[in-house]
Amino acid sequence: MQTRGNAFQVIVDGAVVDGVVDGAADAVAPGTVPESPRRVRIIDATLDCLARHGTTKTTVDDIARRAGVSRATVYRVFPGGRDEILGAVVDTEMARLFSALGVRLGEAGDLTEALVGGIVEASTRLRDHAALAYLVEHEPEMVLGHLAFDESDRLLVAASHFTAPFLARWMSPKEAERVTEWATRIVLSYAIAPSDRMDLTEPAQTAHLVTTFVLPGIRSLHDAGTPTVIDITPFGSQQAPPDPPALLSSGSARTSRPSPDQHQSCDQHPSTDQHPYEHSTATALSKGAMP
Amino acid sequence: MGDTRQRILEATYACVARWGLAKTSVEDAAREAKVSRATVYRTFPGGRDELISAVVAWATLEFFIELYEQVQGAESLEQVMERGIMFAHRSIVEHEVLQRVMQTEPEKLLPTLTFESNRIRQGIAEFLVPYLEQRGVAPGVDLREAADFLARMVLSYMSAPGRWDLDDPAQVAQLVRAELLAGVVAGPGPGDPLPPAPDGPGG
Repeated sequence: MQTRGNAFQVIVDGAVVDGVVDGAADAVAPGTVPESPRRVRIIDATLDCLARHGTTKTTVDDIARRAGVSRATVYRVFPGGRDEILGAVVDTEMARLFSALGVRLGEAGDLTEALVGGIVEASTRLRDHAALAYLVEHEPEMVLGHLAFDESDRLLVAASHFTAPFLARWMSPKEAERVTEWATRIVLSYAIAPSDRMDLTEPAQTAHLVTTFVLPGIRSLHDAGTPTVIDITPFGSQQAPPDPPALLSSGSARTSRPSPDQHQSCDQHPSTDQHPYEHSTATALSKGAMP
Repeated sequence: MGDTRQRILEATYACVARWGLAKTSVEDAAREAKVSRATVYRTFPGGRDELISAVVAWATLEFFIELYEQVQGAESLEQVMERGIMFAHRSIVEHEVLQRVMQTEPEKLLPTLTFESNRIRQGIAEFLVPYLEQRGVAPGVDLREAADFLARMVLSYMSAPGRWDLDDPAQVAQLVRAELLAGVVAGPGPGDPLPPAPDGPGG
């Protein structure tokens, strides 16, 4: 499917597609009503159409009508027609999701907040996505292809690759990719098959899941040394280092210094990156800092 | 009756292996099973659609029965998860029919498979409960909640390994013991402490 290549290109390259992120390309002259560029307008119109009729029944005419532009305009912006528009819609929605995640993760004061915020943000956006909901209901094969086996692998690697740099304040890039891959799995699992006891659009329930299952795993994974399997250039390594030692938990137990044996356990593992934040990671992940 | 159903399903599976999901008809299945079309329709009143869904469900169940047999003798929660993930991953990679159908007509397979995975997840969770009970969960951990969470993760990793090399026992041990079970179980388990992580190909 050609839409896949485009979508993943956007994520993997970390590129920002011109004018597709919410309002990003709105060039607004002072005193005028903000108006999205035609590309965004067409994409948003397509999303509306998809939410009502799915992909099979949505035509270029429908999209043009909904966007309030002519058919010719649609083809000028998207010479490839419907297929190109659908590809652009996937790209755009991915870029929007990841930019929203970037904001949430960037705002987080500690790792718990980052994980909970990121999982809630992604889960909520997936749940409330009208076009996605329609497709899951009426054309599941359009969606499921991305969530199974090899395609799911690509999605996991791409999503974690994109979000990992936001965790670089608390851990090495390699560890961050493991952790974001895990978080992506969690989001996808509960999005595909919602649980009646765990609603990941709810911050309190998500915090429970994160503190019960995820944080201990991160800490113990760190102590064991994170192996490297797929080595894709992490753009997280270019992330500016934070000054203060980051904290794993939001509140109470601030820092306990890394105990000597924890240092040792880091040093023992050849696959653990020689990372400048190793010290702060050990601090952040030391058991004393856990709730 | 049960025999006929089984026979038709096996025959249908053989047809799917040969021709794929889309090209397998009720006639093909009947001929392969050496029964009449009427018998197929009597067994699967929904016709072709029901037959195809049933064969996907059947093949999925077969897969998990085999998985169950592989992990049955495991002595600990750690072992059952490690064996299960490794065996399932390998079986999926080597499952020719699954791989071919995923290549050529995933849209026909995935809706049923996704539907089935709900049942499978519950099955895995049920299976893990006694192991969790035996192992003891960490204070504050709800047994059922933990079983459901682990079942989700087992399903996720077996179908898409991501950055993990699931053919490497040391990595699988780390995935299970360090990542997945750290928050779930009480105290160190059998075989702990973990073996040090091996060097991956990337460094």
